[in-house]
Amino acid sequence: MDRRTFIKLTTVTGATATLASCGNPENQIVRFIPDDDIVPGIAAWKPSICPLCQAGCGLQVRVMDADADVIRDGQRGVMKMLVAKKLEGHPQYPINHGGLCPRGQAAIQITYHPDRLTHPLKRSGARGSGEFQQITWDEAVGELVSRLDTLADGNGQQALAFLSRRRPSRRQELVSEFLARFGAPPPILFELFDDHVLRHANRLSFGRDQLPTFDLGRARYVLAFGADFLGTWNSPVAQSVAYGRMRQDNGGIRGKLVQVESRMSLTGANADEWIPLRAGSDGVLALGLAHVILRDGLRSATAAGPAAGALAGWGEGLPNYTPERVEALTGVSAARVQRLAREFASETPAVALIGGSPLAQTNGLFHALAVNALNALVGSVGTPGGVFFTPAVSSPTASAKAVVPSGAARSVATLAADLHAAQQPPVQVLLLDEANPVFATPRAWRVREALENVPFIASFGTFIDETSILADLILPDHSFLESWVDALPESGALVPVAGVAAPVMRPLHETRAMPDVLLEVVGKLRRPLTTPLPWKRFDEMLRQQFAALPVPEGDAWTRAQAQGGWWGELPGAAPAAGSPAPRTAPPSSSAVPPRQTVSPMQFVEPQFDGDASGYPFNLLPYPSQTVYDGSLAHLPWLQEMPDPLTSAMWSSWVEINPQTAARLGIAQGDVVEIASQHGSLRTPAWLSPGIGLDTVAIPVGQGHQSFTRYASGRGANPVSILAPLTEPVTGALAWAATRVRVTRVGDANGQLILFAGGMREEHDPTR
Amino acid sequence: MANRWGMAVDLDRCTGCGACVTACHAENNIATVGADQAARSRAIHWIRVERYWEGEYPDVKVKFRPVMCQQCDAAPCEPVCPTYASHHTADGLNAQVYNRCIGTRYCANACPYNVRFFDFFNPAWEKPLHLQLNPDVSIREVGVMEKCTFCVQRIRGAQIQAKGDKRSIADGEIKPACAQACPSSALVFGDLNNPESAVSRLSRSPRGSKLLEDVGTLPKVTYLSRQIEV
Amino acid sequence: MKRPRIPTVLLVAVLAGAGAIGCRVLGEAPHAHTDPASIYTSARPSFGAAVRDFFDIRPEPKQPFQFPHNIHIKNEVACDVCHEGVTQGPVAGLPSVKTCMICHVSIATDRPMIQHLAELETKHIDLAWQRVYGYPVTAHVRVNHAPHIRAGVECSTCHGNLGEQTVAERVVNLHMGVCVTCHREKNAPDDCTTCHF
Repeated sequence: MDRRTFIKLTTVTGATATLASCGNPENQIVRFIPDDDIVPGIAAWKPSICPLCQAGCGLQVRVMDADADVIRDGQRGVMKMLVAKKLEGHPQYPINHGGLCPRGQAAIQITYHPDRLTHPLKRSGARGSGEFQQITWDEAVGELVSRLDTLADGNGQQALAFLSRRRPSRRQELVSEFLARFGAPPPILFELFDDHVLRHANRLSFGRDQLPTFDLGRARYVLAFGADFLGTWNSPVAQSVAYGRMRQDNGGIRGKLVQVESRMSLTGANADEWIPLRAGSDGVLALGLAHVILRDGLRSATAAGPAAGALAGWGEGLPNYTPERVEALTGVSAARVQRLAREFASETPAVALIGGSPLAQTNGLFHALAVNALNALVGSVGTPGGVFFTPAVSSPTASAKAVVPSGAARSVATLAADLHAAQQPPVQVLLLDEANPVFATPRAWRVREALENVPFIASFGTFIDETSILADLILPDHSFLESWVDALPESGALVPVAGVAAPVMRPLHETRAMPDVLLEVVGKLRRPLTTPLPWKRFDEMLRQQFAALPVPEGDAWTRAQAQGGWWGELPGAAPAAGSPAPRTAPPSSSAVPPRQTVSPMQFVEPQFDGDASGYPFNLLPYPSQTVYDGSLAHLPWLQEMPDPLTSAMWSSWVEINPQTAARLGIAQGDVVEIASQHGSLRTPAWLSPGIGLDTVAIPVGQGHQSFTRYASGRGANPVSILAPLTEPVTGALAWAATRVRVTRVGDANGQLILFAGGMREEHDPTR
Repeated sequence: MANRWGMAVDLDRCTGCGACVTACHAENNIATVGADQAARSRAIHWIRVERYWEGEYPDVKVKFRPVMCQQCDAAPCEPVCPTYASHHTADGLNAQVYNRCIGTRYCANACPYNVRFFDFFNPAWEKPLHLQLNPDVSIREVGVMEKCTFCVQRIRGAQIQAKGDKRSIADGEIKPACAQACPSSALVFGDLNNPESAVSRLSRSPRGSKLLEDVGTLPKVTYLSRQIEV
Repeated sequence: MKRPRIPTVLLVAVLAGAGAIGCRVLGEAPHAHTDPASIYTSARPSFGAAVRDFFDIRPEPKQPFQFPHNIHIKNEVACDVCHEGVTQGPVAGLPSVKTCMICHVSIATDRPMIQHLAELETKHIDLAWQRVYGYPVTAHVRVNHAPHIRAGVECSTCHGNLGEQTVAERVVNLHMGVCVTCHREKNAPDDCTTCHF
């Protein structure tokens, strides 16, 4: 036996283990009576909603009994509980139709995570030290109430800020209502990869401040600019379901996918034609297509309607976007431009998408407007196979918009700037709800330093992360499987959708649902709200909202709970996969007419941070298929899931073109330093054929410092070294506009872990 | 007539997203080995997405292929097993019986698809992650081989249910975890002995081919190649 | 856990020593933490436990009290009144105190044991029954009760005549030969994956 085993043999552990102890264990363990009536071994299926991204896919959860370690009245023991075992896509839910992405499959690990926050906590050490002590819920709620009372007493209600993720839902509505009635500003909704620019463009082009929905299943030709719509962008499962139909289930027509981007994404890997182009020039290509279409008389200029008004030169046939000029600006050959244009105009239904890095440039708004106009030109707005907007769910009882308009609230950038600028911090009390801007913003914004100026921070999040570690008070929320959940998805369906689901299992820990805690706090405030909130519990609010929705028969609330939500029908025939969709009215006739808040735009060169000589490469951070924007790096299944394009697990890497790598003396796996003007990081190199000579790409998601045992101290975070460049109209972070230099600093050190390493299908970078 | 289980994978629908990989982990109690062991090539993925890069920038293409145990009718892993742990069932599955397995790993040696995985150590779940474990699937211990079973627990469960209901199993009633999760419906499972089942029809597609067909393993997974644009 | 053949004498000697040694985790995954109570693993907690598991040496189950199956059966309480899962699914289950109290809230309430049960119920504490029939985890056996009940197999066929027992005793040795023989006689599947997966 080896030394380690010998040492272990001579140690006696005193822990009263449950299943893993010797002797006759069961006699030592207290067993509690189950809270539920359980028939062992039988599975029940309950609906829920995935919270991991804005798509809000519907879930069916398999629930069975398990022996859980619990504490009851201070006593440790074991109890049979009904617990969630597996998440599946809900077959009838109109967003995902039974499908589920890998992240949604892994979401169940949130509930069972060993590092989950289990009790309310109060900071006991220095701020950010991670030292907390356990307190009771009464103490925690009491502390929060007293802080809010102090604000109200001093007429400082404006100094309350609420920072959360963007999840259009009644839950978000509740938060907005609370803040409004308290007298505080609207919530700050933070998402690193959120297409504010696209929403704004849609507002200008179509009068809809909303992400688009694509009827890909009936499309014959899909032209995508930068949008990883099969992987992480917008509503990926809905788009993937439709993509499958587009390929092999559209009445014998096989749709074609053309992907235009500067780095081969998961979606680009599936394209029939992959077109790399110069960063920040996507709109030029789109208008180049429009130019040819107009020039060749394939459509008339007026076909584009008001969407074209946002672009300069439309009326004159877009003279600045000739194929030759497009070639010069984008790198796409003139011949190719002409062919694409003819295909796009003739292989109808044709639709164009844009999202992700093209919009994360300083000229991103132009690209979005150009693509919108192109769609309008070929008549694919609101027609089968084209672009739609998910109808809103009407609710007579809602007094505030569930969807907070993208430009309305303060952003994290302005929050940080305000906190740095003022002598007296303009935010006295900050409430955190799962958002992690300390991780997911450039260090140049100095968000951590800004938040350190806030006198009191309370977090409702389920985990300690880089942002919630700064909290003074922790009031941990249930996981989604233990809560009432709801969603009002902004995109992904052609019908209005309002998802709702009851908890599928009882709470494992001493956590409480955030909306209920909020309502409890409201009930205890010394000064009542300007208008009282009529509910004591969140599910009362949900019931009221859902009961008012129209249903063909029965009770709307009961129906909604049973099937996981309420959704409308398409006007006319029932929606079936192959049948043509009834024509919905073009958005511009039913919504606010497009307002030209900017004068007609033309292409301006994108601005990059870092001069081309000192910083020769464009840095492209992109959402990881496994850990998305970093918010999922704590889930072990996702860390171990091989990245589809590289097969990398538990790793960060930088994608470099093999020729570039050869020139710089970089071999596969070598440690490379990536430096911008705002910081540097080190990470192993992965030689990629799918990236240009002047671009390097790093997946976002690793590089956490304090985010559970699985994510902490692993990899590098490319967002931290980004330049604080923004798109000027919306203020959105231009996260694709940073230039870097690349230097080899060491041999491969085993940090890059590839599942395909050594297998014959590994990409050989030398060939 | 006995069932003969098979799958069809439509590579024109597969997006490479990897939902099948995680779904399989969730359903089949597959251990997460951690970064150190993964670096020693000990990660276990019963189904994996392979990617094949063709060409050089800018004329670059990628092809994805999900690969799982092909449940070969002439499986090379079966004759080499000294304890009959790897053997063929009457309904066409290549069964792996964990309690017979003594861990010679000859089956993995023989398998041309690299779909068999060895448990180098006892898997561990940091509590309460273990509450997610599927009670219908064994927890494997150190020293045994494991691989895709076509979610045999779901097959057996459906067979028992159908027998109790006194009916036959409908096509599409059994979905392995991978097929159920797949958003683009690229993975189809069913009875190859039923000529009208979806998997049978897809297997007859002119785009269909088998993986390493000339090795003679008679795999029961048909891959439908991406349709080429004219 | 399978080991190469070791001379029996040596094995017994090792057993004697190992059985007395304290708990630790054998062959844990490398990323496991030091507190075994926080890990769920197929590893046996000690070498002694592993050896016992290999030879299916199980201690006699110690039940919380001498539950009288015989009295309940004499009173015509059917098996599945308390072991309710048995007709629906794989697991028969061990009843909780709540199940007992369904009847005993009014039956035999003068008995001290019944009063103890009522007291347990108010304290939310359950009886920690120990499983009598069942296979070690490494046998990887998935017995599904429902098809057996459906096929008309009497509970006593596999579990003995409980009409003659108070607490259940392992009177039937359910080794694999017993199962396979009966399966073959009744034309039930005898494929390995019927039970082992």
